[in-house]
Amino acid sequence: MTDVIGSNATTAPWVLLILAISVTYLWRGLGTAIAARIDPESDFLQWIACVAYGLLAGLISRIIILPVGILEGTELVDRVGATAFGFVLFFIFRRNIGVGTLSAAGMFMLLVWLRAQGIL
Amino acid sequence: MAKRRLRISTPPRSDTDIDVMKLFWMGFRDGFSLPAFMVSASMIGYGALVHSAGMDIFIAIVSTIGIWGLPGQVAFIEYVLLGAPVASILLAVSLANMRFLPMSLSLVPLFRNSESGWRWRYLWAQFMSVNTWVGLLRKIPDLTPDQRGPYYAGFSTICMIAGSGGTTLGFLMAETLPFFVTVTLVFINPIYFAFVFAAMRARACLIAFAAGALTGPLFYLLSPEWSLPMCGIVAGTVGFYADRMLRRFA
Repeated sequence: MTDVIGSNATTAPWVLLILAISVTYLWRGLGTAIAARIDPESDFLQWIACVAYGLLAGLISRIIILPVGILEGTELVDRVGATAFGFVLFFIFRRNIGVGTLSAAGMFMLLVWLRAQGIL
Repeated sequence: MAKRRLRISTPPRSDTDIDVMKLFWMGFRDGFSLPAFMVSASMIGYGALVHSAGMDIFIAIVSTIGIWGLPGQVAFIEYVLLGAPVASILLAVSLANMRFLPMSLSLVPLFRNSESGWRWRYLWAQFMSVNTWVGLLRKIPDLTPDQRGPYYAGFSTICMIAGSGGTTLGFLMAETLPFFVTVTLVFINPIYFAFVFAAMRARACLIAFAAGALTGPLFYLLSPEWSLPMCGIVAGTVGFYADRMLRRFA
């Protein structure tokens, strides 16, 4: 067992994937098990919902501002600029989610493309 | 006593029998617009990413259905690619997916009075993504408790289909997708959720969301591993109490 844990990812990807799925389900299953004891009308449930929103917001803004992985290959100013552009249109169009998302993504794609062309 | 703050209140239970199939299709249809479209778009980006990592298509599809959360999936592929130690891969994936704990804690109690919802709750927990979670929370004021299970089942089924379909498509198209397209598709995921949350009406959620967005990167600089739970608890508590105080003064 210590062999598996200590070894590198030359371990079959399938083994790793099954382990990754298990550790993910751990959170889902744990929440579900505890949920049986939570009153759907309670203040505690509302606090937990707030915690989930806060956590997701933190994750989203971290991905945009300090990404790891493929988004690291893009510029901070492009990511934040495109997001800001999307929010402007989002509010102009009375908080329309589709308009906000597509305009931010479109602006982002344009900026990344312009950089790839050496124009920016 | 203001008990109806987050709009996750319970309408009175209906006495009439519910039409399960009708509710399933209602959820299916609600999902079959922006939510499914955005999931498939970001999963196209993910499929292309798996292809470029040199892994096979089954890994791509099974990881989408099994992990069912893009940040954790991306973390998995990238750590495997780096050849990181197994323990650190699992820690990274697990931490990236920690959000599922508060999410299932707040979602599953809503199925209490839904027969199919409660019986299948461990399956619904697997089908839960940010999309389906927020999809049900927004719809709660319009649904009686016994309607929630079938509605959620329909909504999350279409999201799952769109997600695995997108992954397959992205994997197959990977070689034709230039970098600026793949990276944009991956970018769609966080940006879409930013707008979904910004469109929420409940004040406590909005304040928690704003506080989390502002402090998230700071907590990450403080401690990459523990930033998410810290940020969630701090921002969530701020939102919860700020809403109560504003209510008192209103």
